[in-house]
Amino acid sequence: MASESSGRTFQEYLEHHLQNLVFGPLPEGHERKFYSKGETTSEKEIYCQDKNMDYDGEKYCKETLSQDGWYLANNKTDIEAMGFWAFHIDTLFFSVLLGGIFLFIFAGAARNFSLYKPGKLQLFIEMMIDFINGVVQGTFKAATNTLIAPMALTIFFWVLLMNVMDLVPVDLIPYPAELLGIPYLKVVPTTDLNLTAALALSVFILYLIFSIKSKGFVGFIKSISLHPFGPWMLPANLFIEIIDLIAKPLSLALRLYGNLYAGEMIFLLIAGMVSINLAELTFTGIGLNLAGITLSLIWAIFHILIVVLQAFIFMMLTVVYMNMAHEKFEQH
Amino acid sequence: MNLNATLLGQMIAFGLFVWFCWKFVWPPLLAAMEERAQKIEQGLKDSEESAKKILEAEEESKKMLTKAKNEAKKIMDNAKSQSEKMVEEAKTKASDEKERIVGSAQSEIEKEVVNAKKNLEKDFATSVMAAVKKIVAKEVSLSNHQDTVDKSLDDFRK
Repeated sequence: MASESSGRTFQEYLEHHLQNLVFGPLPEGHERKFYSKGETTSEKEIYCQDKNMDYDGEKYCKETLSQDGWYLANNKTDIEAMGFWAFHIDTLFFSVLLGGIFLFIFAGAARNFSLYKPGKLQLFIEMMIDFINGVVQGTFKAATNTLIAPMALTIFFWVLLMNVMDLVPVDLIPYPAELLGIPYLKVVPTTDLNLTAALALSVFILYLIFSIKSKGFVGFIKSISLHPFGPWMLPANLFIEIIDLIAKPLSLALRLYGNLYAGEMIFLLIAGMVSINLAELTFTGIGLNLAGITLSLIWAIFHILIVVLQAFIFMMLTVVYMNMAHEKFEQH
Repeated sequence: MNLNATLLGQMIAFGLFVWFCWKFVWPPLLAAMEERAQKIEQGLKDSEESAKKILEAEEESKKMLTKAKNEAKKIMDNAKSQSEKMVEEAKTKASDEKERIVGSAQSEIEKEVVNAKKNLEKDFATSVMAAVKKIVAKEVSLSNHQDTVDKSLDDFRK
């Protein structure tokens, strides 16, 4: 397994793969730790001295920051010190890249649309537009809002593309990146709660906006306070409705995140069975390798289903919530 | 798993993507697809209509053909009868003319005959009178016919 080549245990390998690349502010006096390289303690010490850092006598080189600044986090303590104003560079990079690819392809198709001679790509895109349009028109009854269908399209394809990154072999991108000096790299943006929460929160904000717009502010307040038991049970109504309200973005965010994170985790666990270390190529080692390759293939094939399904569910629920937001308040 | 400012960045990215899709991707694609759907519908309608029109035109042409045939026949018939009539007329005219010419010739001839007879009578009378005069001059003398004259005078005196 790739972890062994960089001298880590399987536990560390897992943790490493499940950690985003964080860029954030570190205060003056913060102590940063880096893995030292080398076989023996003396080699490690020399490595640290080459980098102008202290050696802690075991695995790490240490550096105390002389001033505040923005850094790439190197371990958990760095990340904790960064607090809220830190960015997951890998999530942002891959999500924006994939979203850009999606919009580039679709906008290109829109610009070069041929009425009489559609190409294969255009036919595919038309099929997708038709599919999304069908879903939206079947679910979303207040036809006046033109934002819903394009948003559904964006969500479906963006999430789908991000999920598909899960099918890229787990070490294919992070390992070369590590050789280039990037400490962490998670290539599947949807395994980052920040992204799924951002999507869910955006959808939730739109839900609130459209709710208030269609019901009026008073109507919206009524809809969460006079439901489902009538005005005599107002506190209970509020309690239930607010939980119901908050459950929407929460379930939306956690469903996608949980599915993809678990999928990624299983890929990682399977990857742990595969080794490229020649010393481990005993009979059992070969058996484990074969089992790992087979399992990862099976899981990848199964995962194709999850990848598409989760993207579809996210889109579908968004449309459903938008439809609920546009419903007029009715006294029951 | 910790939430951090990535959340805000992702929300902005999501907003931009949705906005871009809303403005520049969805409407032109949908409009183009609807336009094509309309064109296909129109094309099918047009082809149906033109098929109908072709049938109608065929019928029309058949009708026109029969009509033209009928007309042609009528014209032919007309022409035939006309020509027959003309021949008939010409015949009657010719026979009338013939009769007229023959009639006038006859009357001319009759006239000529009458004239000739008259002339002949005249000539004959003259020559008879001359002969009579000659005969009379030789035969007639007062002495021979004194008694006759006298008798006549007596009658007159009476």
